[in-house]
Amino acid sequence: MKTETRRIAINFGGGYAPGLNAVVTGAVLAARGLGWDIVGIRDGFDGLLFPDRYPEGGLMGLVPGIVRNLAGTGGCILGTGARSDPFHVRSVNADNIVEELDRSDELLALVQKEDIDAVISVVSPGALGILLKMHRKGLKTVCIPKSVENDVEGTMLSFGFNSTLSFVAEMLERTRQAAQSSQKIGVVEVLGKHAGWLALQAGIAVCADAVLMPEIPYDLGKVATALQGNFKAGRTSGLVVVAEGARPLAEPATASRVDAGVKATLSPGATGGSGSHVIDRSGRVAEEVALELQRLTDRETYPLVLGQLAKAGAPTVVDRQLGLSYGAAAVRAIAEGRDGVMVAFQAPDVKFIPLAEAINRVRAVPVEGGFVQTARCLGISLGD
Amino acid sequence: MKATNPKGLVLNIQHFCTHDGPGIRTNVFLKGCSLRCKWCSNPESIHPKPELGYNPRSCIGKKECGFCLGGVCPESAIFVVGPGDKVQVNWDLCTNCGACVPVCPANALSLFGREMTVDEVLDEVEQDSAFYHESGGGITVSGGECQLQPDFLAALLAEAHRRGINTAIETAFNVPWEFTEKVLPHVDLVLHDHKLTDPVRHRKWCGADNSRILANLKRAYETFPDTRFFARTPLIPGVNDDEEHVRCVLEFIRPHKNVIGYELLPYHRFGESKYGFLGRIYEMMDFSSPTPETIARLQAIIDDVRNDENASK
Repeated sequence: MKTETRRIAINFGGGYAPGLNAVVTGAVLAARGLGWDIVGIRDGFDGLLFPDRYPEGGLMGLVPGIVRNLAGTGGCILGTGARSDPFHVRSVNADNIVEELDRSDELLALVQKEDIDAVISVVSPGALGILLKMHRKGLKTVCIPKSVENDVEGTMLSFGFNSTLSFVAEMLERTRQAAQSSQKIGVVEVLGKHAGWLALQAGIAVCADAVLMPEIPYDLGKVATALQGNFKAGRTSGLVVVAEGARPLAEPATASRVDAGVKATLSPGATGGSGSHVIDRSGRVAEEVALELQRLTDRETYPLVLGQLAKAGAPTVVDRQLGLSYGAAAVRAIAEGRDGVMVAFQAPDVKFIPLAEAINRVRAVPVEGGFVQTARCLGISLGD
Repeated sequence: MKATNPKGLVLNIQHFCTHDGPGIRTNVFLKGCSLRCKWCSNPESIHPKPELGYNPRSCIGKKECGFCLGGVCPESAIFVVGPGDKVQVNWDLCTNCGACVPVCPANALSLFGREMTVDEVLDEVEQDSAFYHESGGGITVSGGECQLQPDFLAALLAEAHRRGINTAIETAFNVPWEFTEKVLPHVDLVLHDHKLTDPVRHRKWCGADNSRILANLKRAYETFPDTRFFARTPLIPGVNDDEEHVRCVLEFIRPHKNVIGYELLPYHRFGESKYGFLGRIYEMMDFSSPTPETIARLQAIIDDVRNDENASK
């Protein structure tokens, strides 16, 4: 292992996850253990591209004293770069015209000017493409994926998932109690755009009546039948968990249709009614499912959206340990001369997957796998 | 003499429009915009070059088709995830080359924006000329910001006049004055925006401040006294739906007799699906349309002030 003094940087792409500060801590302790310098780039790459925005400087020197008590805290000491993409940086030119500029070459030059040998970037799987392009241009990079939905292909457990799962399960339990007291059906939308791990595992934990997820297109008639069975057996309330990416088998008949003429005039080319699944809108699925179940069961329903609440907060011990491990592993990758890779936890080991193989993949719930079978055994309807 | 040059980047041509000028009109949308209004209902008009749009509802899936997979995309930006069947686009890798578009039989993949000559545009616009003559309508060129293609726009409007078609443009005036100088001699009616008054807030919500816009407006009103101008405010709840902004606009346009009206355009979300087509985030998810009461209250202010001004003439 090379131990010559080096200088590396760490930054975070958009979006929080519990455990980000644990990742920083792991990287700092590992880097300093090798005698390296490590700096944090604030707000993604903005600390380098827009240093004037930061009175204390766009880079933060990181030493063990700063991170000693950080691992168990929520938030991110370096900020996260919301939609920070060096290939499309919004600027206003001399003619006051807003444009998106490719400043990737400039970013590379700034990294070199700061004597940064390699950058550890903690990003969501969807943003790995940006880092792949930067790597191809010459940026030495090791990526750590962050996903509270646990949908990173190649990684058995993403940091942040355990904390989010605990929070969601608690919220579902509270929703169940509220539903019981009001004799209604609670429909709770949770994160899960591409994969239903959070909905499924939280739903299992609280023995929900139904769990709907992207991997299994749902038929609400089947869900309604399951709920009606429970009501006949004496129950007076219900709990349905819906991942935000869940899709119906067929477009709901009740999806509203706006006058095509008016819409075409005001926004040519726009399609779909408010029930359109073209875009992801937080709360949309909960509304649709709640409304349709109300029609099918003649029981009052109420939608609830946990949304981004689930991403906040302090990490559990599991996520604290995972975050520290990911951070330390990224430093180890650099020390071993690796470049253009993503850190992946494949228990009991940490592996390094080339970025080109890591992009465009999602770790979805196997529809014949153990978790789904468990749900079925527990009598949880999956809408199929 | 037939004008066949220059070419312009056209997004859409919409027939039988009644909201963008008098009578029945044909709207020609040009691509490219100089602002980034968060409420934009035509996000596909912003980028100045052709760009990919993907509608997953039209995709017939990998099992039935899959023609766009397997090496068609030079950047490997099109893929299928896990157990899913419909393709997805990695927007960070996509370069808008359009290689995937011709192989898609379902038109799920398409390119926003195509080059057209002045004649090609007007040959289509002229199909409805009978309606223009009967209703007092014509052509309205919009966007994006149509004045960002000044040479094409000026040629288009000049040729429209030559063919006896009334002309109007929709613009925010965030362009160099030289562009306006070229375009406005060929315009009968200018529909223009007053989005926000405060320059800092204008930058926050629209991407750039409004100093140039206000300077251009004042200069345009004065330089083209025979051209009619019509002021508009896209009414966005919690942003500009207040009496102060409306009164500022009224005060701004008051000295100029060629500003013939001021209307409020209530915010709508009809365009939000198009953000999904482009893989973009719609930043106004938590906003809804202004209430009828708000619209009525602000409209009453406009009516009172404009009526008083007319009465004092």
